[in-house]
Amino acid sequence: MRNAVKVQQTARFSPWIAITDLVDGAARVPLWVAFASDEIQQRYRRSKLGLTWIVFSYLIFVGTISLFFGSFSDLNHQKFTLYVAVNFAIFMFLLANLTDGCAVFRTAASWIKSAPLPHSIHLFKSVSRSVFIFAINFAIAIALLFLYGHKLTWVALEAIPAFALILFNSIFIQMILGYISARYPDIEHLMMSITRVLFFTTPVLWVRDEHSAPGLRNTVAEFNPLTHALEIFSSPILGQHGDPRSWVIMLWLSLAVFVIGIFVAGACHRRLPYWL
Amino acid sequence: MNDQSPLQIEPFGEHRQLLSQETFLLAESLGVSFPVRGNIREQRLSESDDRLIWNKHGKLRAVQALRNISLDLKTGDRLAIVGRNGSGKTTLLQVLGGILSPSAGRLTYRGRVTSLININLGIQPEASGHRNITLRGLASGYSRKEIEQKRGEIAEFSELGEFLSMPMMSYSAGMRMRLTFAIATAFTPEILVLDEWLSAGDTAFKKKATNRMQEFVGKAGILILASHSRQLILDNCEQAIWLDGGEIRERGPVEEVLKAYESDSAPSPKTPEAHPFSTVKA
Repeated sequence: MRNAVKVQQTARFSPWIAITDLVDGAARVPLWVAFASDEIQQRYRRSKLGLTWIVFSYLIFVGTISLFFGSFSDLNHQKFTLYVAVNFAIFMFLLANLTDGCAVFRTAASWIKSAPLPHSIHLFKSVSRSVFIFAINFAIAIALLFLYGHKLTWVALEAIPAFALILFNSIFIQMILGYISARYPDIEHLMMSITRVLFFTTPVLWVRDEHSAPGLRNTVAEFNPLTHALEIFSSPILGQHGDPRSWVIMLWLSLAVFVIGIFVAGACHRRLPYWL
Repeated sequence: MNDQSPLQIEPFGEHRQLLSQETFLLAESLGVSFPVRGNIREQRLSESDDRLIWNKHGKLRAVQALRNISLDLKTGDRLAIVGRNGSGKTTLLQVLGGILSPSAGRLTYRGRVTSLININLGIQPEASGHRNITLRGLASGYSRKEIEQKRGEIAEFSELGEFLSMPMMSYSAGMRMRLTFAIATAFTPEILVLDEWLSAGDTAFKKKATNRMQEFVGKAGILILASHSRQLILDNCEQAIWLDGGEIRERGPVEEVLKAYESDSAPSPKTPEAHPFSTVKA
């Protein structure tokens, strides 16, 4: 077998590099799956309960919220618990993308500096690790739904394209944050403080319809993209069509994130090893 | 970034013949400049040093680590890189290994490149030796099946035995080196880029490594080795380049270059060892 000739040449900006990097990285499934499973195992290595901690920490949170905040909402207690259970699972996934995204290249510095791999394998690794944790949490949420006698309707299938769209966004969001915070580490600190606030400004623990009166809370929620991501995913599972407005916003957002991602990666790809 | 490449590179011109080779590596006027961030002004840094790039406000912007490096290597070539600390050896290896993208010039190659530049990088310290064999194999683009086929050979060469099931962070530097070297060479790389860490091995390992490298170069590969060990270089290489201040000072057969290099760097008590920018990564 004859190898192809490869050329490395200086280019200040090349969106093409970003695309080939993504395609090459996506093809190497066994590698990023291995990386992801290693990282998950590492996080729980030497703990007695191991991966079951994912289940426990999720249940502890949902249980506590349902107990303490159940009366804040007009929904009956059962409905509120399910609302929080579904929302929290997907919200943690969204949040993980924001925080992991900032560190995605920093934590992979050892590999970036030692092997000529596509940068995108670190993105896929990071996203797939979050998907794994989300899958566990979401499975519990579904179990809770059945436990409380809630029936999934056909509308719930809408959540599948919604999740696909969220997944697409995750990759590019992590890409943008990863490159930018490799250059400006401050972004990571900024993101840490933002995610704390996002917990309260996103309707995870409160129901948006109950606060639809124009006001600060509503405006903030409206401008918060996570609100719309939650809406298109959670609503169908809880038996309602996702708000078309949120779909439109999410679709535009995906396009924007894609364009910005390719632009950022095109400009930063060559310099990444110099920054780490 | 400082892309100072005044020369236009022709589409290969005289190197057309090289391109037909099974394995080749062609570097044309490579340059690397490391950006320097922060507010470094002329604090005792010599302004006359042309490797430091200042902006018009007198702030340090970049360090030119390599300048105008041209090489052409074909199947079977074994190149040594010698030079003092901070002369750009490791940077050049990183560029040739495809890890750093040059800030100027062009690198063209055919063949699978394996680089062993820093043995502490590219391993998962908490994972076992076996797991690291898998990861590095996957990272080099091999299937799990191919990795399993090579596992026995790697275990044997590294002489680690039972230790392969232990986390790599419990390994000594020598054990770590044996394993990484065994992994890197097990998959018959076509272009092998090695930094001087190999010289840290004991005599028995060095001998074994030398045999292994010769075997591999015999199988139509290219070896690029940077080292301070005279013996290692003489055993493994036939050509050499001498890097000085980021530029090629001399090139030619390995004995001649070594001789010139050694006579130049013979200890003279007057010259201070520290480079002006030894604190900046070069």
